[in-house]
Amino acid sequence: MRGKLKGILVTLLLALMTISFLYPLYYMLANSLKTRADYFARPFALPGAPLQLANYATMISQFRILNLFKNSFVISALTVVLLLAAGTFASYVFAKYRFKGRSALYVAVMVTMFIPSQVTIIPLYVLFSRMGLVSTYWSVVLSYVALFLPECILLMTANFRGIIDELLEAAEIDGCGYFQKIWNVVLPMGRAAVFLSIIFYFITSWNDLFTPMIFLQSMEKRTVMVALATLMGRYTGAPTLQFAGLLLAAVPALAVYIVFQRQIIRGLSVGAIK
Amino acid sequence: MKKRRIVLQIVFSLLPVLLVLAVFRVYPIAVAVIKSFTNWDGLYRSDFIGLRNYVSFIQSGLFWMVLRNTLILLANVPLQVFAGLVVALLLYEKVKGWRVYRAVIYIPQIISAVIIGFLFKIFFGFNGPFNAVLRAVGLGRLAIEWFGNSYTALGVVIFAVVWFSIGWQAIVILGGMSAIPTSVFEAAVLDGASYWQRAFKIVVPMLVRVLEFCIIASGVWTLTQLFPFLYAMTRGGPGFETSTLDYMVYLKSFGLGFGSDYGMATAIAVLLLLLVLAFTLIEMRVANRADDWS
Repeated sequence: MRGKLKGILVTLLLALMTISFLYPLYYMLANSLKTRADYFARPFALPGAPLQLANYATMISQFRILNLFKNSFVISALTVVLLLAAGTFASYVFAKYRFKGRSALYVAVMVTMFIPSQVTIIPLYVLFSRMGLVSTYWSVVLSYVALFLPECILLMTANFRGIIDELLEAAEIDGCGYFQKIWNVVLPMGRAAVFLSIIFYFITSWNDLFTPMIFLQSMEKRTVMVALATLMGRYTGAPTLQFAGLLLAAVPALAVYIVFQRQIIRGLSVGAIK
Repeated sequence: MKKRRIVLQIVFSLLPVLLVLAVFRVYPIAVAVIKSFTNWDGLYRSDFIGLRNYVSFIQSGLFWMVLRNTLILLANVPLQVFAGLVVALLLYEKVKGWRVYRAVIYIPQIISAVIIGFLFKIFFGFNGPFNAVLRAVGLGRLAIEWFGNSYTALGVVIFAVVWFSIGWQAIVILGGMSAIPTSVFEAAVLDGASYWQRAFKIVVPMLVRVLEFCIIASGVWTLTQLFPFLYAMTRGGPGFETSTLDYMVYLKSFGLGFGSDYGMATAIAVLLLLLVLAFTLIEMRVANRADDWS
């Protein structure tokens, strides 16, 4: 009897929590499909027929959300590609080579993880404006790569250490060069960490506001989150349009999460990323 | 010959990383520290003025207000760790559908903090859903302008941050729990230990290191990553009543309407760096993360 009561209590608590985490998504969707008057009159009700798709049409035609998606996507994708390209080689060397000064270098790389991006933002802005990179993708991408590298190397080095040395030696005997060894052995064996890095840093880049808000001043280049900040600041009279914008901005990252949920949770369980 | 090749491999594998970090992380820190002693405007003016930026920031009431806000906001750390622990305990004994719950609790972490911030701003707006519910149940008196004074505003920010972080905490704590040998647990069940005894006499004591890590990681996170929440919900206001150090850096440099005082902004940034370093040193002592992951 007591066990049953406890079971009901646990289920109830979990159900409550699930609702609290899913409700905002529903709230955004439902209210983005209403008229303004309908939203103010009945904010909790389901949208009545006919569904108002005008908000989404406005997001596409006036806010050019597809262009914003493109900008965010290019920045996130470039970040992940460069991050992995630089991170894989360094992690492999840190994990499998023995040389003088290795741990000192490793610690030096890790220490930069704790520099807050607010501390570097002003000097970086001045640096990028001298290089002519302000309002280009590169200013944001390079900042991200530098910001994420230590954590990504931490994750991959730990994972690559677990690769069996005999496999690497066998590949060498088979005539694999340095790059072939990485491509044929290190990447496949360390795929858990590589995969987690790709998904996690893509989502993190997609969701960030601070860096692109400072560096991207041209309307043509701004990301989804920067445009969203504008939408939320200037269109307070059109709340249903704002809901459409908020939901659209969240959808891509959520889609990635739904597809790769298992890999993300497994990677996080080992507490490597925050 | 082979040795030479290995040296080349090491050098060319590490060089890109070291270059990127040197140019985009270490060099800016050096610039920030040096410029914090000047009246830099980002362009040509950059005269050495000693400690004047630091002194005038600390002497103005702003520093103490920012410090107060930071301390209040740090209260979110024990709350989010505790909430995450409770959720992890609920999921630990593999209740029906635990995989689904585990996937759902992480959803807020996937949604941008900017979006979460704006959602909370709407929910707790004067005419927002939360006040609408209060008025509907006859508590209209309590339906106040939540962002109108610093204490309720900071309260809503803390609520949003805790809600956002429960999933991360729970997943990391669950990861720590999976390292507890099942034999210990089964023995306790056989000995007739109740659910609460199992939870608080066996599981929690074995999690001390994980919990320490959770507390310190969220502490550093609170000091450095609240920008999107504050930007969306309060803009640091009313006045500077909800600003933190990291938000002040933004206000003094790029935030609209203040003019750019890069010298002052970098001085505040250096103070933030010192605060984070202090936290980090404790973290290094408590949990050697690099060794834990394999």
